[in-house]
Amino acid sequence: MDRGFLSNTELRTPGGRIFYVTVTIILLIIAVVALFPFFFAFTSGLKGSTEIFTSGLNMFPATPQWENYTDSWEKFDMFRLFRNSIWIVTIAVILRLAVSAMAAYSFSMLNPIFGKYIISGFLLTLMVPGIAYFVPLYVTISDIPILHWNLLDTYWGLWLPYCVDAFSIFVLKTFFDNIPSEIIDSARVDGANSLQIFFRMVLPLSRSILIVLAVLAFVGIWKDFLLPLLVITDPARQPITVRLFYLAGDHGVNLQMAASFMALLPPLIIAVVLQRYMQLGVTVGGVKG
Amino acid sequence: MTTSSQIENIMPTEKRKRSLERFQYKWGNQIMAFVFLIPAILVFATFAWYPIYQSIVMSFQDVSLTGQSTWVGWANYELMLKDPALEIAWINALQFAVWSLMLGFFVPVVLAVLVREMRVGQGFFRVVYFLPTVVPVAIAVIIWRFIYDPDAGYLNAFLDMVGIQGQNWLTNANLVKPSLVAVMTWSGFGTTALIYLASLQEVPGELYDAAELDGASPLQRIRNITIPHLLPIMSLMFILQVLAVVQVFTEPFLLTNGGPGRETLTPAMHIYNRAFIRFDFGYASAWSVMMIIVLVGFSIIYRIADNRLRNN
Repeated sequence: MDRGFLSNTELRTPGGRIFYVTVTIILLIIAVVALFPFFFAFTSGLKGSTEIFTSGLNMFPATPQWENYTDSWEKFDMFRLFRNSIWIVTIAVILRLAVSAMAAYSFSMLNPIFGKYIISGFLLTLMVPGIAYFVPLYVTISDIPILHWNLLDTYWGLWLPYCVDAFSIFVLKTFFDNIPSEIIDSARVDGANSLQIFFRMVLPLSRSILIVLAVLAFVGIWKDFLLPLLVITDPARQPITVRLFYLAGDHGVNLQMAASFMALLPPLIIAVVLQRYMQLGVTVGGVKG
Repeated sequence: MTTSSQIENIMPTEKRKRSLERFQYKWGNQIMAFVFLIPAILVFATFAWYPIYQSIVMSFQDVSLTGQSTWVGWANYELMLKDPALEIAWINALQFAVWSLMLGFFVPVVLAVLVREMRVGQGFFRVVYFLPTVVPVAIAVIIWRFIYDPDAGYLNAFLDMVGIQGQNWLTNANLVKPSLVAVMTWSGFGTTALIYLASLQEVPGELYDAAELDGASPLQRIRNITIPHLLPIMSLMFILQVLAVVQVFTEPFLLTNGGPGRETLTPAMHIYNRAFIRFDFGYASAWSVMMIIVLVGFSIIYRIADNRLRNN
C-alpha cells in the first residue's frame, strides 16, 4: 500500500535491488556526516592534551581519559551553567506559552474589538528581521519605557523578550479555531465562564500542540546566543552557550570538547525522546511562510 | 408559496435577534477578551513594536550613551553610503546566499525523495538528519573550528589520506565562505528535508501506480509527479533560506569574526560592531533600517513573482 516513486515489485528486480542498496549506503554516509561532529566532540574530549594535536585521522584516543569529563565539569563549573540555562529556558517556555495561548484564546473565541488589527500587528513582527531591531531592543531592555526599569543582568531581560512569538500565537489560534464550537457553546450553556472554558476545556484539548510549541521553544531558546550575550554580563549568571564560548580560550582543547559535548546533551535528548513532537513542529513551522 | 414568504418574513428578525445577541455577548465580554490579550499586547509593544519604531527614529539621531539624543537628519544615512563596509558587507551577504543555495538548496530535496523510497528505517534517518538542528551555534563553532584546524583538524587529515593538499579553511579568502556555509548547511539541512518529506507523504501512491501502468519510467515519474508536487514548498524554502542567510550573524561572528580581512563581514555583524563595540547606536540603526527595507522588499518582490508564476 505504501510506495514511493518506485513500486515494491520494481524494487524486487535486480536493478531495483542495486538501486535500493546504493541509496541506503548514500543515506547512511550522510547520516555519518551529520553525526560526525557529535562523535568528534565526544572522542576528542577523551584524548590527552597533547594527543589531540597530533595530526592524522586518529579517530579514537589511545587511552580514553574519562577524567577529562569530570575535570571539565569542575573547571567550567558546568553544574552552575546547566542550572542557569535550564532556569532561563524553563521559565521562558512557560511564559511564552502562557502569553501566546491566552492571546490566541482571546482572538479565537472572545472577539476582542480591533482584534484583526492587533493580530496583524503581531504577525508584522514575523516580517521584520530580528537582527534589524536588535539595537533598540537592547536599549529598551536597559531602560523599559515609562517604568524606567533596567532589566540588564536580570533574567527578566530574557524572559520577557522571549515571550514575543507571533508564530506560537498564530499556530494556537488556528488550532483553537478548529475546536468544534458545539463543545464550547454547551459548556457556556452549562454556566462555565471564559476562564473556566480556557483552563478546563481549551488547554486540555490542545495538549499536543502545546507540547509541540514547548519543545520548539525549548530548543530555540536553549540555542540562542546574541540576546543572552548582551543582556547577561555577570559570568555567574550566564547560560551555557554564552559562558562556554567565553571560557573556550582558557582551557585545553580536549576539555573544551568534553564540555561542548556535555552541553549538547540536553537538547539532543529532548530531540530524540520527543522526536514525534519535534518533527510535527518542524512541519508546522514550514507552513508558516 | 406561503412557506417561502413566511421564511422571508421571519428571516430578518431572526437574523437581527442573533446579531443583537452576538452584540451583547461581545460587549459583555470585551473586558474578559482584553484580560487575556493584555499580556501579549504589553510584551509585543515593549519588545517588538517600540524597538522597531525606535530603530527608525534612532537612525535619524546621534544617540549618546548618557541617553541624550540629538536629531541629525539624514547624516547617518549619508555616512552609510560613504562607508566602504556597505558594499563589502552586502556583497558578502549575497555571496553567502549564492554559496548556501549551491551547497544546500538541493541536498534536502534529494535526501527527502530518497528517504521516502526507504521501506525500512525512515524514522532513523529522520531523527539523525534532524539532530544537528538542535545544536547551539555557539557550541557547534567550537567543534567546527577544530575540524577545520589546518594542522590537527580532521578535514585536512582526511584529505591527506586521499592525497589532497590540506587547506587553511578559515583563513584562505577563497575558501572561508564555502567553509562557513558548510557549517550552516550542516545545521539546517535536516529540518528542510523533514519539511519536504512531510510534503511527499501527501502524494497518493495511486498516482505513481497509474503512471507506472502508463509506462512512465522512474525518472519520468520523479519529473512529472514528485518534483511538481514539491515545487511550491521548494519556492518557499528558497526565499526562507535567502532571508536567513542574508541575516547571518552568529557563524561568522564566532568562527571568523569577519575575517580574513573583511571577507566574512555581514550586514548584521557590522550592525553589531557599530552598536556594541563603537556604541554608535544611531549609525547602526541606519544600517538596520536598510536591512529591513532590503529584506521586506525582497519578500514582496518574491510574493509578486511567485503569484505571477502560479497564475501562468
